[in-house]
Amino acid sequence: MRKHVLLIGSFNKARSLAQSLIKKKYQVTAINNDYQNCLILAEIDSLTVINGDGTKPFVLEDANAQDADIAIALTPNDDDNLVICELCKKKFNIKKTVALVNDPKKTDFFYKMGVDSVICAVNAITNIIEQQTFLEGIATLLPTGEARISIAEVPISATGPVVGKKLWEINLPKEVIIGCILRGEKSMIPRGDTRVLAGDMLVLISSDKQEIAAIKELTGQI
Amino acid sequence: MKELINKKSNSLTIIAGCGRLGASFANTLSDQEENVLVIDRDKDSFRKLSPSFGGLTLAGDATDIDVLHEAQIEKATVVIAVTDNDNTNIMIAQMAKELFKKERVIARLNDPDKECVYYNSGIDTICPVVLSIKEISKLIKTKNVREE
Repeated sequence: MRKHVLLIGSFNKARSLAQSLIKKKYQVTAINNDYQNCLILAEIDSLTVINGDGTKPFVLEDANAQDADIAIALTPNDDDNLVICELCKKKFNIKKTVALVNDPKKTDFFYKMGVDSVICAVNAITNIIEQQTFLEGIATLLPTGEARISIAEVPISATGPVVGKKLWEINLPKEVIIGCILRGEKSMIPRGDTRVLAGDMLVLISSDKQEIAAIKELTGQI
Repeated sequence: MKELINKKSNSLTIIAGCGRLGASFANTLSDQEENVLVIDRDKDSFRKLSPSFGGLTLAGDATDIDVLHEAQIEKATVVIAVTDNDNTNIMIAQMAKELFKKERVIARLNDPDKECVYYNSGIDTICPVVLSIKEISKLIKTKNVREE
């Protein structure tokens, strides 16, 4: 059985989520209350689109909410998202509900009301901004579950010490590998003889505490 | 903000939403010498309150936890959510109940279909459509009786 996902609200987020979920073989239904947006959404292959207010039970019914496994509330209003998740949970018995929330102070409240996963976009974005300002554009550390290893994105500037070098020519600490190079729109898995170019974004995987030394070697900064 | 002027009663009613219903009910309570505080995000809507209104007003978003603190919700005995948006009313009522543990919470719900989110929550709901239907059928019945 393919998992059925309901996306409620938001045009842009729903569109990119739908595309990515359909690629992963999910069955996806999107609910949007703007007719023009629905027409554009309907161009996505095998996406079911329902035009209506997703906070209304009969609209959810039209979208076959009772058969859905996951409901994701993406509207810009916290109250709408809460009601969508509560309706999905209590009226349609959907197992997993996910809500976007604007106000970080409401995250705990949403969990308390039974929403399974609460995503605070504002919090996520401010965290990213903070990280970027403090590492001053040198690198972005991505959090990993247990934090035994760290993953960092390191942009290579034109004046960097490693520009034009092959990977095996770079003196990286032992427990660090460059797992991926993002070059423009492309991403590539590098080999020892791959050259680093200016503008590349290196994705670094390193074990505990080796990342700073590696970032220093790659950027000449810190 | 002004401290609450203690009148005869010690109770405090917070009304979220100063529409026709919110404003008239605030006026009624104020006439009965009850302590009332009305919250609305648009301060122009407070013009609906009568000139003799003796309660407090607070301009702000009643779904914002900080605004509720400012309204001294800790001291409130009754919280009534009567904004023009059902979903907003649901959120305000649930916040009052779950976060501030208020005993008496009442919310207006225009769409009776949404009532299921309130099951077992201890929140009282009033639904104008249902009330109107009851009243209208009562009127029809009495008229029929008279005609007979």
